[in-house]
Amino acid sequence: MQRFDLIVVGAGPAGLSAAIEAAEKGMRVIVFDENAKPGGQLFKQIHKFFGSKEHRARVRGFVIGQQLLEEADRAGVQVVLDATVIGLYQDKEIVVKIRDEIHHLKGDAILIATGASENMVPFDGWTLPGVMGAGAAQTLMNLHGVLPGKRVLMLGTGNVGLVVSFQLLQCGCEVVALADAAPAIGGYGVHAAKVARCGVPFYLSHTIREAEGTDHVTGVTIAKVDEHFQFIPGTEKHFDVDTICVAVGLSPMSQLLKMAGCSMVDDPKRGGQVPVCDEFGATSIPGIYCAGDVSGIEEASSAMIEGRMAGEAIARYLGYIPEADCKQAEKQLERGLFQLRRGMFAPGRKGTKQETTDEGIRLSQTLLTKGYVADDEIERFPGVTHRVGVHPVIECTQNIPCNPCQDVCPKHCISIGENITSLPTVVLDSTCINCGMCVAGCSGQAIFLIDEDKGDGTAEITVPYEFLPLPSEGDTGTALGRDGQPVCGASVVRVRRSSAFDKTNLLTISVPKEYAMKARFFKRCG
Amino acid sequence: MNQVNDRNRDIGPFVPQPDDDQIICRCEEVTKGEIRRAVHDGMWTITEVRRCLRTGMGLCQGQTCAKLVKRIVAAELHIPQSELEPATSRAPMRPIEMRVFANEDGEVKTDE
Amino acid sequence: MNKTADVIVIGGGIIGCAVSYFLAKRGVRVICLEGSDNIGNGGSSRNGGGVRQSGRDPRELPLVMYGIKNYWPTLSDELDIDCEYHQEGNLRLGKTEAHKKILTGLTDRARAVGLDVRMIDGDEVRAINPYLSDEVTCASWCPTDGHANPLTTTLGFYKTARRLGAHFISGERVVALKKIRGTLRQVLCASGDVFEADTVVLAAGFASRKIAETVGIDLPMQEITLEALVTEAEPPMFNQMLGTAEADFYGHQTKHGSFVFGGTSGLEGFTTDDGTPMTDSRSAPCFCRGIIKYFPNLAKAKIVRTWAGWMDLTADKVPILGTVPEVPGLVLACGFCGHGFGIAPGAASQIAQLITEGKTDVDLSDLRYDRFTAKA
Repeated sequence: MQRFDLIVVGAGPAGLSAAIEAAEKGMRVIVFDENAKPGGQLFKQIHKFFGSKEHRARVRGFVIGQQLLEEADRAGVQVVLDATVIGLYQDKEIVVKIRDEIHHLKGDAILIATGASENMVPFDGWTLPGVMGAGAAQTLMNLHGVLPGKRVLMLGTGNVGLVVSFQLLQCGCEVVALADAAPAIGGYGVHAAKVARCGVPFYLSHTIREAEGTDHVTGVTIAKVDEHFQFIPGTEKHFDVDTICVAVGLSPMSQLLKMAGCSMVDDPKRGGQVPVCDEFGATSIPGIYCAGDVSGIEEASSAMIEGRMAGEAIARYLGYIPEADCKQAEKQLERGLFQLRRGMFAPGRKGTKQETTDEGIRLSQTLLTKGYVADDEIERFPGVTHRVGVHPVIECTQNIPCNPCQDVCPKHCISIGENITSLPTVVLDSTCINCGMCVAGCSGQAIFLIDEDKGDGTAEITVPYEFLPLPSEGDTGTALGRDGQPVCGASVVRVRRSSAFDKTNLLTISVPKEYAMKARFFKRCG
Repeated sequence: MNQVNDRNRDIGPFVPQPDDDQIICRCEEVTKGEIRRAVHDGMWTITEVRRCLRTGMGLCQGQTCAKLVKRIVAAELHIPQSELEPATSRAPMRPIEMRVFANEDGEVKTDE
Repeated sequence: MNKTADVIVIGGGIIGCAVSYFLAKRGVRVICLEGSDNIGNGGSSRNGGGVRQSGRDPRELPLVMYGIKNYWPTLSDELDIDCEYHQEGNLRLGKTEAHKKILTGLTDRARAVGLDVRMIDGDEVRAINPYLSDEVTCASWCPTDGHANPLTTTLGFYKTARRLGAHFISGERVVALKKIRGTLRQVLCASGDVFEADTVVLAAGFASRKIAETVGIDLPMQEITLEALVTEAEPPMFNQMLGTAEADFYGHQTKHGSFVFGGTSGLEGFTTDDGTPMTDSRSAPCFCRGIIKYFPNLAKAKIVRTWAGWMDLTADKVPILGTVPEVPGLVLACGFCGHGFGIAPGAASQIAQLITEGKTDVDLSDLRYDRFTAKA
């Protein structure tokens, strides 16, 4: 029987990272993926990633996917696509279906990196065409170039719900609202704020009562729920929509591990049925490892580190590297993973109610319930300062693992410090040169360059802009507040595009100066 | 898990609920009410409910409904969801035509 | 928790559930102990669903004929569940002269016991089931055979027994039996629980062997893994139960539309597992090749699941039923050799009758344990 040092199931961020690590250590590695394209969910991710430089922060997900594939190729990893692993049998044997054949292979080690699938929530009409997972909508849009619908309601305000809502807007869909049965937005505030400033309303403590339609979705009714998640009569709200996206979490696709007989545990914090494993992904069966979402739902950034750690551990297990050599590398990887797992969204803090940031600043409650920081809340955050001349205003108000703003500013105007989940601050006595790198480099699109008083009664605000068509200099329109509501008239004074900005264009708008701290988005007339 | 499970434990009467006709298992079109009724007929594990009603036995093999069924059964039994063992995982992970399953070809071709 | 009853049934498979049902129906206080977490977790939920007389050993044939006559046709009503029973015949297929010889032998022996079964040729086979390939040249045909849904039938016995007052406890693994003053009285469990009754029915499949050992009874059985598979739903094609002369493949189309097929690869008894029955990577492909030869138009049917189960194969390939004179109070109902489903209602009703009346409608003497003891 065909035998490899390592068989990897799943060519997503975790699987590819592990394969690269193992192949670089001299192992014979083959990777199978059931999809026609490798990269797992990475090629759907058109937004810039969080984290720090070592986590490839500020790079768009699909670019990370390309980088990983190139690395895998250089390392000599065999990636076989359209290859469905249908079983993991005794003695680490897999059976894989490729076209209209099946093949039996054995691995001295097996890494399962099969990722996760989307959860569903039942409501009346949930089986109608037009109700789909948010991830499915993302696949349609970003992989297949197909618009999932025209008018969409998003259920779920975790990062998937927020990111996909923004991408739906970018595709030209109308997102009528985001609803969530939870009382607070689950994902990063900066992701919510991007959506809110486009004028999309958030309905927290609301969920879907009914999807309407006979053979496809024609409308949806949401209603408020009490603390026991029971509907409160009389709070129903109707929207005409043709699509309902459901983003209510993911479940690890751990079936291969269970089939093989690995010890499993039901862990709601990790997303459901997951293998019992150590920090390197070693399961209860020697030689069978796991990495990425299959061992607990997290972000792609942590999946890549988990994959590399598993790759290291497998190389050690099979004697490709001596114990001593991998200690150093492992320490560094563990540190990288530790950084990602800190802050308010750390896996350990899931489900805990937090009132303040790690710095002791009261969190914006408006951000948690409506998706934006209210005008009277924004001033208390350290990234928001007032100066003469152009300066960055950093509306980053939660402890998330991300620090590109600190690295990207050539004048070192922004500081986060050692701990990448700290809130960014504006460095005293620093000089902003209005280069725009921080605005384009902030993966959360939460940094604005503001000249609060141009001396003629106006202020200029530079905002990140990722929509088409791109407005032109001289265009007039409306400035929108953080809540997406019109605040004043505005005109475009400058449009900046640069390869350094990586497709985040910078729009500088002129508004009356009293709106300098209110206007955060631009809508063209007509 | 193998825990002593006294099937005479009182779980209270079956009380109809307004959303009992909601479909939970899409592949096999099993409703919430049918699942709740089965629990009151003594089907106290995910596997028993499955064997009785075919929940999770369709094309997706429970990928979509497993968590939903679990929630309903746990609520009906007044136990934490973690006490319910999920159904066994079995090959094939995706439906596969008999002619393909039958077609065992030699080695996977690689670039080597 | 009440731990005393008239009868304790060890094993919550179809035999244990059905014995509990028939006893409860007769007003007997029953406690049924299932060692795993699930009722009907062994062969009861893993078999091919045959309700078959043809092809059986003449010693057990009267029992299954009794069940098909008296219970199967009305079982769905009796158990308030759809058992999906179809009595539309069994074709045992042959392709070669050697097959024909095997089938003819089986047919002659069954006819001698009074079963309506006969040999037919390939054309007659295809007149009954037009989907079969030309490779089939002969078959035994038993029109009163059929099939049912083992999952719902087993759980139906459980559900109805429970309604009648039988007390079921799962996850209660029996480790030993204990005689008190010469008579079997106590049932000891891994949990530490001790149950007491006048009569103990041992219906725990292969696990019965270890339990019986604790009162000095050796049941000559082997544990063999068998495998099966199921397709997605297909349009209705036929309602017969199918088997083959070499027993390499068997199955039927279910009410749901899916085909359930079992088979053998030749590796039975030699595969490995981790304590739960596991499928072998070579089995399902082998079954598929066999099935396609019989049913070319199922080539594109999709397999959605494969599974494995253990059978309790006795030394002489028929079950062990009835009392054990050396151990008063013990009643055996095990060793069904992988075809205990169709025979279950008949066998269980006779065990219940034996316990309550001390006699049975069907003579069980050929199936008693003492057939294995040294000749006097």
